[in-house]
Amino acid sequence: MPTVDIDPDELRDLTGHEEKGDEELKEDLFGLGLEFEGRTEEGAFELEFAPDRLDRLSVEGVARSMRYQYGDARGIHVPSPNSADWTIEVDESVPDERPYVTGAVIRDVDLDEEALESLIQLQEKLHATMGRKRAKGAIGIHDLTMLKGSPATEGNPTIKYVGVEPDEDQFVPLDSDAEMTPAEVLEHHQTGQTYADLVSEYERYPAIYDDIGLFSFPPVINGRRTEVSTDSRDLFVEMTGTDQWTIDKMLNIVCYALAARGATLEEVTVEYPDHEIVRPDLSTKTKTVAHDRIETILGIGFDPDEVIDLAERSGLEAEKEENEDGELVYEVTIPPYRVDVLHPLDIIDDLGRAYGFNDLEPRYPDVGTVGGRHERSRLERAVRESLVGLGFEDLLNFHMISEAENYDRLDIEPGADVYGAGESATIKGPYSEDFTMLRTWVMPSLLMVLERNTHRAYPQDLAEIGFAAEVDEDENTGVTEGRRVGAVLASHDAGYEDAKARLQALARNFDVDLETPPTDHPTFISGRTAAVVIDGEEVGVIGEVHPKVLVEHDLEVPVSAFEFDLEALR
Amino acid sequence: MQLPAQQVAVLETASADEATSVDALAAATELPPETVTGAVFELEDEGLVAVSERVDETVALTDEGREYAEAELPEISLYEAALEAGADADPVSMGQVIGASGLEGSAVDIALSNYARKGYGVIDSGEITADPDADPAADTEANALAALADVDDAPVDSVDIDADTLDQLERRGLLERTESTVREVTLTELAVTELMAGIETAETVGQVTPELLTSGEWEDVEFAEYNVEADAERFEGGKVHILRQTAERVKDVLVGMGFQEMEGPHVDADFWINDCLFMPQDHPARTHWDRFALEQPTHIDELPEDLVDRVERAHKEGVGPDGEGYHSPWDEDFARALALRGHTTSLSTRYLSGEEIGDLEPPQRYFSVEKVYRNDTLDPTHLLEFFQIEGWVMAEDLSVRDLMGTFEEFYSQFGITDIQFKPHYNPYTEPSFELFGTHPTTGELVEIGNSGIFREEMLEPLGVECDVMAWGLALERLLMLMYGFEDIRDIHGTLCDLELLRETEVTY
Repeated sequence: MPTVDIDPDELRDLTGHEEKGDEELKEDLFGLGLEFEGRTEEGAFELEFAPDRLDRLSVEGVARSMRYQYGDARGIHVPSPNSADWTIEVDESVPDERPYVTGAVIRDVDLDEEALESLIQLQEKLHATMGRKRAKGAIGIHDLTMLKGSPATEGNPTIKYVGVEPDEDQFVPLDSDAEMTPAEVLEHHQTGQTYADLVSEYERYPAIYDDIGLFSFPPVINGRRTEVSTDSRDLFVEMTGTDQWTIDKMLNIVCYALAARGATLEEVTVEYPDHEIVRPDLSTKTKTVAHDRIETILGIGFDPDEVIDLAERSGLEAEKEENEDGELVYEVTIPPYRVDVLHPLDIIDDLGRAYGFNDLEPRYPDVGTVGGRHERSRLERAVRESLVGLGFEDLLNFHMISEAENYDRLDIEPGADVYGAGESATIKGPYSEDFTMLRTWVMPSLLMVLERNTHRAYPQDLAEIGFAAEVDEDENTGVTEGRRVGAVLASHDAGYEDAKARLQALARNFDVDLETPPTDHPTFISGRTAAVVIDGEEVGVIGEVHPKVLVEHDLEVPVSAFEFDLEALR
Repeated sequence: MQLPAQQVAVLETASADEATSVDALAAATELPPETVTGAVFELEDEGLVAVSERVDETVALTDEGREYAEAELPEISLYEAALEAGADADPVSMGQVIGASGLEGSAVDIALSNYARKGYGVIDSGEITADPDADPAADTEANALAALADVDDAPVDSVDIDADTLDQLERRGLLERTESTVREVTLTELAVTELMAGIETAETVGQVTPELLTSGEWEDVEFAEYNVEADAERFEGGKVHILRQTAERVKDVLVGMGFQEMEGPHVDADFWINDCLFMPQDHPARTHWDRFALEQPTHIDELPEDLVDRVERAHKEGVGPDGEGYHSPWDEDFARALALRGHTTSLSTRYLSGEEIGDLEPPQRYFSVEKVYRNDTLDPTHLLEFFQIEGWVMAEDLSVRDLMGTFEEFYSQFGITDIQFKPHYNPYTEPSFELFGTHPTTGELVEIGNSGIFREEMLEPLGVECDVMAWGLALERLLMLMYGFEDIRDIHGTLCDLELLRETEVTY
């Protein structure tokens, strides 16, 4: 899970609780769902967070939640931005893949080192979560004094969001001294290389211009000219992305974090070719939550005033109402920085957290049902017990395997007309060359275990009832899946009869008719191989493993083996 | 009469006139003393010998006693040093005398505590005097030590030392007394008669044979004794795999709690694995790197059309009058893509939708303990495939308290109590909790599962109109918690160590 670094001193400062010790803070943070993972080199808390409350990705947001939890703050606070001076004009040339932009101006920020670090961390964490690694939303923060707006309309400075040819223009990106075209940034600049995949397929690259020229190449990198430092007093925040709601919410979170440090917000007008919006959109939303549902989900009765109090301690506001059916409901107002409230149930979760879930008394639900196992599970257990009774060590191997292990090393060809050689379901872009497909039979796994354990005492009688799968066009998923009963007997005098004797014993246990007509199979010695025919159907193979296969597995003792479909014993 | 060889030997060696000790019999018959003792008791039972017992006491010096016998008693060293320092005339400072005596450590205390007792002089106010008339050569304790120095376990009657001195030496820890029972054997008249009549030696046999049993010969034979304490040759019996044993245990518990078992495909459409769980299609867990997408085959043939529509609507618009969807793209082709399931919640969605066994009416409890696949880094606690315990309860009006009560009951079956519920976020449950429990041996708080109440955005499209609570947990985690395994790779997979599997304790 992702983590966020929070300086405990800053947290004490921003919550106004200087008296709280580190341990006490950790406990309070755990209550918010932020688990202490350790400390950074600088002594900050490393906190693990669940990616729902993205408004808590910085110390400002965490402090806000804690002030609500402590009861120091109540209800919703919405900052009032000054009206728009700046405009972002969206040009027709903007790439279709990334059409949306939003922005805000932040004035009178007081950025000391910590505040700047916190802002940078917030930006990174938002990129990683809501921004989907900048694909869905990317943030650019600029020093406003370095921007020169074109006076498109009287008194209103304007910047332009446009699409450019990859080599159309040049700018000096962050962490560089050289002028580069966007295409050169993707090729030569480290950050450019990291995010190149996001835009490399675009015909035109996204770019933002002021009167002086190109100053931002979203979602890849900003220009050096407008870089923010601790001296910056006024900021221009722009965000581009594939979804307007997402970038607007990301903007709200950034605005709230900066406002918490005393900055003044100022609106920005976004002029799309066919319509105009003003941002940030700090409007609140409401949802209706039924009192009855709160009580059934949390499992205890509540007084309406208590519900209202819990809502306020969650940073929400609730008003008691009666719905059309005369039921008690609450009209709950949700602040503009919340991105996780999709349904009234999410509000009930907030109320539960404010109440303290661990204060609820657990109870065993008074619901009667009848338990049981499915037939395959019972059959598998019975066969496993029989195998153990016959002296086999029960094994458990991976379902994923490589082509070489599954086919080549057992001397069979994929798709060949022998048991175990079915076409495999293969994995796309496999993580490891040892695991590229699902095994088509369990024999390869058993031989691998023998190969790994040649230093252990013999006899080694091993068995596995295991999953195997092969491609089958008649199945809805295109794959037929099943369990196989596989067994190997390895010792200085293991022979066909040893395997046959045990197979016969299994057949007797399950009262099935066993025949073993001779057959050919490349894994086994010719003349000592038979098909396993159970109740008239060919379901497997039995034989002495071919010396070629034994030597391939570094085995110096004979091995006899069988494998058949578990279903045959049903 | 017939008797076993060792009894015959004892009879022939023992005498009717004088008692012979067991040790003497053992020496004469060349049989081990324990064999002779056994034979003697059997002969006594048959009235052929009379056994008398007496207790012999022996004495021997302890290591400390032996040390003083070689050198001298500390109090004598002190006396000699005191004489040297002129303490026979005037009292001398004790420190000076001790220094001169060469005594160190505990020997000083021993010397001081015996000095006055034995009349070598007086110790008072840190000064020491020596009695000029005392005679170390007449010290009875020293002489006794000298007498015992060269004998081991001397019978107490045989040493010429008075009882008080022996007691005193024992009190000082310089001598040990040992008591042993000596058995002496005398032949009875019956034995003499039988010996005169002649006693035959009975044969001993190694093994019970069918012939021995059917012929009745077993009544006359004696069975050769085995060394029953020796280790036998190692035998490798088969055993159910430890992880399977744990799975069986979990299944037992869940069946006992009223849960029915689910089964279903390992290769499944992302629709069942993720979309039905209200996981947005651009969720980070759905990217290529976290899952095993299939190259062949690529897509499922058929999905229930109306369910696909409902799921898509829930993703885009949410559920209920105040519901909101995700601001994420949704594409049916993406949902049809096949992958190895990353969790068995895909089985839950199949069952809840009615697709697997028809529509379910509440109440219901279902579970599975089946494999899931995650594209993770292999390390001692993470494998690419592992078993997930999945369980859910469907009923009208389930609360967080019901969820807590169910899990407390489940985990208490495995000795894990004091469960803590940490509020958590899952896209498909609300409220959601990570479950923490106290490790039974280390006492650490460890994560033991993830749980919650399924969201309405998940249940409504599936056609479920009541509450469903669910939880998931890695079986391997439970195993490692319960039995302290450190590297899961040693037991699960083809890298397994057969010896470890053979040595592993069974569980129940």
